[in-house]
Amino acid sequence: MRKFLCAVILLVLCASGIAESPKEVISKTVLLEDSEEQAKRVGALSGANPEELIALLNKWKEGGIFIVENADGTKVAVTLDEDKDAEDKQTARRLDTGAVFGRVVAADITTAETDSTLRLAMKSVLDLAELSSPDLKRRLQAIETMGSEQDPERLPALLAWQAKETHSRAKRAIQEAIALIQLKDESDDVKIAACKTLGELGSIPSQDFLKTTAKEANEAGKAALVTAANGALKDIAGHVTFVNTAGTAFRGLSLGSILLVVAIGLAITFGLMGVINMAHGEMIAIGAYTTYVVQCVFGPGLELSPFGINIKLPGMNATDWLYDSYFIIALPLSFLAAALGGLALERGIIRFLYRRPLESLLATWGVSLVLQQLFRLTFGANNVQVSSPSWLSGNWTVNDVLFGWNRVFVIVFAIAIVWGVTMLLKKTPLGLLIRAVMQNRQMAACMGVRTERVNMLTFALGSGLAGLAGAFISQIGNVGPSLGQLYIVDSFMTVVVGGVGNIIGTVISALGIGLLDQSLQQILGNPVLGKILVLAGIILFLQWKPAGLFVTKSRSLES
Amino acid sequence: MINKLTKSLGALALAAGISTIAPQGANAQDTVKVGVLHSLSGPMAISETSLRDVLLFTFDEINAEGGVAGKKIEPVIVDGASNWPLFAEKAKQLLEQDKCAVVFGCWTSVSRKSVLPVFEKNNGLLFYPVQYEGEEESKNVFYTAEAVNQQATPSIDYLLAQGKKKFYLLGSDYVYPQTTNLVLLEYLLSKGVPLENIGGGFKKDESGKIISAGKYTPFGHTDYQQIIAEIKQFSAGGKACVVSTLNGDTNVPFFKEYAAAGLTAEKCPVVSFSISEDEFRALPAKQLVGQLGCWTYFQSIKTPANKKFVDDFQGWLKATTVDGVKKEGRVTCSPMVLSYNGVYLWKAAVEKAGSFEVDKVREALQAGISFDGPGGKVTSQKNMHLTKNVFIGETKADGQFKILKEYKNVFGEPWLKGTFKPKTAAK
Repeated sequence: MRKFLCAVILLVLCASGIAESPKEVISKTVLLEDSEEQAKRVGALSGANPEELIALLNKWKEGGIFIVENADGTKVAVTLDEDKDAEDKQTARRLDTGAVFGRVVAADITTAETDSTLRLAMKSVLDLAELSSPDLKRRLQAIETMGSEQDPERLPALLAWQAKETHSRAKRAIQEAIALIQLKDESDDVKIAACKTLGELGSIPSQDFLKTTAKEANEAGKAALVTAANGALKDIAGHVTFVNTAGTAFRGLSLGSILLVVAIGLAITFGLMGVINMAHGEMIAIGAYTTYVVQCVFGPGLELSPFGINIKLPGMNATDWLYDSYFIIALPLSFLAAALGGLALERGIIRFLYRRPLESLLATWGVSLVLQQLFRLTFGANNVQVSSPSWLSGNWTVNDVLFGWNRVFVIVFAIAIVWGVTMLLKKTPLGLLIRAVMQNRQMAACMGVRTERVNMLTFALGSGLAGLAGAFISQIGNVGPSLGQLYIVDSFMTVVVGGVGNIIGTVISALGIGLLDQSLQQILGNPVLGKILVLAGIILFLQWKPAGLFVTKSRSLES
Repeated sequence: MINKLTKSLGALALAAGISTIAPQGANAQDTVKVGVLHSLSGPMAISETSLRDVLLFTFDEINAEGGVAGKKIEPVIVDGASNWPLFAEKAKQLLEQDKCAVVFGCWTSVSRKSVLPVFEKNNGLLFYPVQYEGEEESKNVFYTAEAVNQQATPSIDYLLAQGKKKFYLLGSDYVYPQTTNLVLLEYLLSKGVPLENIGGGFKKDESGKIISAGKYTPFGHTDYQQIIAEIKQFSAGGKACVVSTLNGDTNVPFFKEYAAAGLTAEKCPVVSFSISEDEFRALPAKQLVGQLGCWTYFQSIKTPANKKFVDDFQGWLKATTVDGVKKEGRVTCSPMVLSYNGVYLWKAAVEKAGSFEVDKVREALQAGISFDGPGGKVTSQKNMHLTKNVFIGETKADGQFKILKEYKNVFGEPWLKGTFKPKTAAK
C-alpha cells in the first residue's frame, strides 16, 4: 500500500519536473538483475505524459524491449523497428535516446523479461496512469474495471485520485468503485457503509456483488450486513424500475416516431387522396437507396451495372466531418428521388385510376413488385451497407437511462416533418388547394382549380416524405430490395387506426402504437408476444371504431 | 385463353424434360450423377448459392484429375427455392428420376428435416454441410456440419477461460437456436454457472422444467432497443457476454443498436454462431470488429493447403462460365469448406468400397476415412459425423477472422441433450 502512496506523491513531484523522464528510468531499470529492485523503481514511476508511460510499460510487458551489449560489454536497452529484411535483420534503437544502435536479428538478442512481482508493480502504475488520462471515456473505463475487480490493493490509488477528480460523472464512478472494493473489506462496518453508499447511488453494476455479499453474510450469520446489503439491493431495484419505465417511455416514443415518419407519406397519398398505394414501401426503399448512393459518393465511389449498362460514380473519399455530413445531403436528395418516383407513378398509372380504388390497389402492388426487382437488378440481391455518421451512433446516458442519438434524432425529425406538413397544408396556397381538391375533386375543378396538377403535387409530396423515412431507416436497419415490405403493413396500420384523412390522427395513433408495443415488450419480456397483442388490439379497436380514432367530418355525399 | 395456357405449360414441361434428359446423351458409361440441392432463389439463396459454386468447383477439380473411380462427376443441379416442401420434391426427383449416387445439399435444419424421409425411403445419401443443432442421426445423411460440441460448447469454454461469468442467450426463433440454447443451458450449469447468471429468460412447463432458454426474435425483426437495454443492465457488473444465434440480416439492426448503446467487444463480447465470412459481407464490418466467431474453418488459416484452396477457388471463379456465379468480392467460409470436404470424403469412400452403392459407401465412411482439407485433417466417424479442428476467431474490419484459439480433433457428437449434469457443488 505504501508503494501506491509513494507513487501518488511522486506523481505530484514529477509534475513539478524533478524526476527523470520515464524513458530514461525504464532504460536503466530494464538492465537491473534484481527484480525486486526493478519492481520498486517501476512502482515509483509516473509521468506528466501518461500515454508514453503506458505505451512503454505495455511494450515491456509484451516483450518488445530487448537488451544488447555494446562493444565494451555494457548493456543497453533497445527497441526494434518494423523493417525486417530478407535476413530477418531489424534496426535497433536505444530506448533512452532513440539513436540507432545497429541492425540485429530479433531471435539472437535477449528480451527484457518480466516476472509476476514486476508485472504487479507495472499494473498498479498503469492503473494510475489510466486514471490520470485526460480522456474521460478511458478514465471511466479504468475506474469501472478497478471497481469490478474488487482488488483492495487499488483502493489507495482510487482514494488519491478521488480528491483530484473534477468531472461529476467520474466522481460518481469513483465513489461507486470505492464502495465496491470496500465490500471486500475486513470490517463489517465498512462493508455496511459501502452497501449504503451503493444503495444511495442506485448502482446497477453493483447488484451482482451485493448479492454475493448478502449470500456470504447470510452463511456467516451476520444479520446487520445482510439487512444492509438487501436494503441496498432494494434501493437499486427501485432505481432499475425507474430506469426501465423511463427507458420504455423513450423507446416507445422513438418507435412511435419511426412509425409516424414511415406513415405520414401514406397519410397523404392514402389518407387525403384515397389512393391505396401499395408501392409506398418501395418509395421508402428509394429514399434508403438514395442515402446509400450518397454515402458511396462521399466515400469510395460506386459501380452499378443495371441491365448491363455500366454506371460509375466517382467517390470523394471524404473523411471525418465531411464524410459524416453525407447524411445531411442525403436527406433532401432522398426526398427528391422518391418525389420524382411518385410523380412518375402518378402520371404513368394512378391518374387513370382515381375513380377505381380497387384497381389502383392492384396496379400499385404490381408497381411495387417491379420496383423491387429493379432494386435487385441495380444494387444486387444482398443488403447494402449504410454506415451511420458518428453523430448518430452514440448515446446520452442520463441517470442510467439511455438516449441513443439516432433515436433522439428520429423524434426531432418526426416533430419537424409533422410541423412542416401541417404548415404546408394550413398556411400555403398549395395547401389550400390540396385540401379543396381532396374534399371534393369535381367542385374544386368547377372553381377553376387545376386538379390534375394538385393531384400530381400531392402524390409527389407523399412519396417524398416516404423517401425521407427511407433515409432515416437506413440508419437503424437493413437496406435491401425488400425493405419496403417490412414497413408497408405498419404504415397502413398506423394510418387506418388514426383515421383516414387526418394527419393528427396518424400522429396520435403512431405514438400510441409505439408506446403500447414497447410497454408490452417490457412487461412480457417477449418481443413477439407484444407485437401479437398490439395487432389483436388493433383488430378489436377497428371493430369498435371502423373509421379510426378521428373521423373526418364531411358534407360530401359519397361518405 | 386456357388453351394458350396449357400449350405454354406443355412447352415448359417439354423444355424441362429436355434439360434433364440432355446430359444423359453424353457418354453415360463414364459419368456418375451427383445431386446438388440448394436454394438458388428466395431468401436463402444469398447463402446457398455459395455452396453450389464451391461444389461445382470441387467437381471440376476432381474431374480434371480423372474423376471418381474413373468416372467423371456429372452434376444435377436443382433449386430448392427456399421452399421446404419443394426441397422434398426435388430430393425425390434427384433420387428416383435422376438416380443420383449421392446428393450434396440443404442449409436450414427445416429443409434437412423435410428431405430426410425421402432419403430414408429411397436409401439415398445426403451430405449436409451447415452447423446444426444435433439430436439427429440418420444412416442416410452424412453430417459434415459442425455439431453443437464443435461450435457452441467450445465457444463457451473459451469465454469461461476469458473469465466470463454471465451469459446472455439470444437467437432467431426456430429449431437450431432453440435446441442449441437448451444444450448450452445444460452445459453452462454443468460448468458451475448459476441459473441467475444466464440471461434472456426461461420458459417453463407446468412441472417447472425449462423448455426454452434465451430471448428469441422472429426473422426480419428490426427493433432491438428493448433487448439491448436489457443486455446493458445484464452486463453492467462486468464479466458478461452474449451468445448469439441470430440469423441473417437481423444482425444488422442488432449490432447497430448494440454500438449505439455504447456496448463494445471489450465490455461485453458477442459470440455469433451464424456469422461466417460469407454472411459478414452483408454486415457493417466496422460495428462488428472484435466480436467472436467459432467455426471449423476460417479463410485466414495459414496453411499451404488452405492457401491453395482459396487461390484455386478464386481462379475457378474467374474462369467459370456457369450462369449466375458472382465473381467479385467472394470469400471462403466454413460451410463451403465442409461441402468441399464432403465431396472428397465421398470420393475416397467410393474408391475404398469399389462401388457407388450407398450401403457400401456408407460402410466405408463409417470405418473412418481421413481427408486433409483446407481447415486441417477431418476424419469420418461411425455416427456419420466428422472429427475436425475447431477455431475461435475475432472479427476484423476487413471481413476476416483473426484466429485466437484452436481445439484439435474434436469428435462430432450429435446427442448432447441430457449429457451434461449440473455441478452438485454449485448452489
